[in-house]
Amino acid sequence: MNKLLIDNLVVELRSVSKSYRKGSETVDAVAGIELTIQERGMVAIVGPSGSGKSTLLHMIGAMDRPTRGEVLVAGQAVNRLSSGELTRFRRQTVGFVFQTFNLIPNLTALENVALPMEFNGVSASERSVRAKTLLERFQLGHRLKHRPRELSGGEMQRVAIARAVANQPRLVLADEPTGNLDSRSGQIIYELLQEVSRERTVIVVTHSEELARLADRVIHIRDGHLVDGPNSGHKVVSVTP
Amino acid sequence: MGMIILGLRNLLRNKVRLVLVAILIGVPFFLLLAMYSIGDAMQRQTTVLNENVNTVLQLRGRGSMGHVNMVGQDRLLPQDTLEKVRGIEHVRQAEPYLLAMAPITPPNFVMHVGLAPGAVKRLESHGEAGNPRIIAGRDFMPEDAGQDVAIIGQGYAEWAGIRPEDVGKATLTIDPTRTHPAIFGMDRPTRELRIIGMYASGYIFGDLQLFMPVETFRSIYGIDQGISWLFVNVDNVENVPVVAQRLQEAVGDVADILVPESAAVFTATTSQRVTQLTSVGGILAVALMVIVVFFVLLMIVRERAREIGTLKAIGASNGGVTTQFLTEAVALTLLGGALGLLLFRGIGEIVTGRLFALSIGPFLPSHYRPLFESLAINSNLSASTLALVIAVAVLAAVIGSAYGVWQAVKLSPLEAMKHE
Repeated sequence: MNKLLIDNLVVELRSVSKSYRKGSETVDAVAGIELTIQERGMVAIVGPSGSGKSTLLHMIGAMDRPTRGEVLVAGQAVNRLSSGELTRFRRQTVGFVFQTFNLIPNLTALENVALPMEFNGVSASERSVRAKTLLERFQLGHRLKHRPRELSGGEMQRVAIARAVANQPRLVLADEPTGNLDSRSGQIIYELLQEVSRERTVIVVTHSEELARLADRVIHIRDGHLVDGPNSGHKVVSVTP
Repeated sequence: MGMIILGLRNLLRNKVRLVLVAILIGVPFFLLLAMYSIGDAMQRQTTVLNENVNTVLQLRGRGSMGHVNMVGQDRLLPQDTLEKVRGIEHVRQAEPYLLAMAPITPPNFVMHVGLAPGAVKRLESHGEAGNPRIIAGRDFMPEDAGQDVAIIGQGYAEWAGIRPEDVGKATLTIDPTRTHPAIFGMDRPTRELRIIGMYASGYIFGDLQLFMPVETFRSIYGIDQGISWLFVNVDNVENVPVVAQRLQEAVGDVADILVPESAAVFTATTSQRVTQLTSVGGILAVALMVIVVFFVLLMIVRERAREIGTLKAIGASNGGVTTQFLTEAVALTLLGGALGLLLFRGIGEIVTGRLFALSIGPFLPSHYRPLFESLAINSNLSASTLALVIAVAVLAAVIGSAYGVWQAVKLSPLEAMKHE
């Protein structure tokens, strides 16, 4: 790997394995993964069900710890962070987009987007302005005061993406973001994620061939192993020197 | 917005549950307030009793209740007892009483009391003390001595059909010939007494007495000599044992001497028992609140597991999650507390009396049971009552929600990834 690639690394997995106990057996969800992901661009992780792609995403997002190996995100060894450091990491370094949107039901769209900023200590006036700007940018300016139950699936996911980028994280992790949407809404979400990936790294776990095609890089995983090695699926165009 | 506001807003997410939980917490709060008010009323009662009995010794005819017409209990103190007692050092005052019983329809009998117009009007059924106050008409004056006048208790007046506005004009006929299984008839003419005053004591039995001048009593019942009860007021509580000893030496052969210590101990024991029972009742009420909060919080945490995971995934700290759920629990218990207060304000006096009768009455010595009918429950919301409600609400919320909050804190942000 050339020097520029190393300097631009936002994610680095070193011999990462994750095992679970299933009765008396030990099951390897992912085994000995070596992976690097550069700053900016969209990375799709694809693979059949149970291949370990979600486990990989959870470990990158510090939601789960590896059994062995090391996960580095934005230079931090996330598997060695304390509870307080993990909270700060989730506030500042990563943003999550969930398949089921996971908006807080009794908060408005604006409040949902402002919530991570509040956790991050942004002042009330500033977070209100930023949340409004984000929602307007995502074509939701007319839905600011609406609660999730008053929004369509596509609109909810757009609010969720706005929430994920509210604190301007370096990394956005999306777990099957179009899994609960119709194709038209899914298309809007693809485009939005692509737009977001111009400023930061977006890692998407997906079954969608269409979304994978839009990605700058596609990582295939099968039975807990990367199919093509640590730099698999690189489109060098996204990181040209 | 803050996790506190988020916690408060969460309350309104399920309004039916909010109402149900408020009721489930409000009822134990009501019980707690009822127990608190019973304890408080009992404390006030005991204070009154102690104030009146602490330095007062009582003498009765040996082995007798001293009622002039009570079967087997009509032996009186000799008339010269009064002079003997007045001669003892440290005796400040000696007040002779004459007592007779008069049969009425339930509750069976009333008490007629003859006393000097200036003497303390003691109530027979409550540790021989009491705190009667005139609610209509007037008190005795020195010129009432020997006159056919009386002051009637409001319970007795109600039975006799005398209303407060009748006082001054109404008369009551005393008929010493009337009998009862415990009362023998006396072959004496009837006498009409003019009711000049009406009193209330707060005790149902205490209100069943009729006070009249002692000379009038003697004349009605034909008792020229003798004393039913003699109340001996000692100048200082520390001198009570000495005076008791002197009394024993002077009149011990003809009198039973009731030392205030025994009466005080008795009232203290009763009060202590009521306090213990109300404390147990209060603890049970708080325990009930804690159990309700425990299960509600556990249910809420299970219901919102994914939401908690999401909050953590987007940067909420464990402290923030704790604040949110603790706020919700405290708000729930405060709401229940407010409901309990409203209930108590509305129906507290009625229900607490009944509650006292059912829960505490059976444990009281038999002659104290009428207390449950008459205990002066105070349903006013004092600052101390409000402080109690707030303190208990916070305590129940903190204890009851501890496990639920711990479960919430323990949840991984991975919960957010679970699909329904």
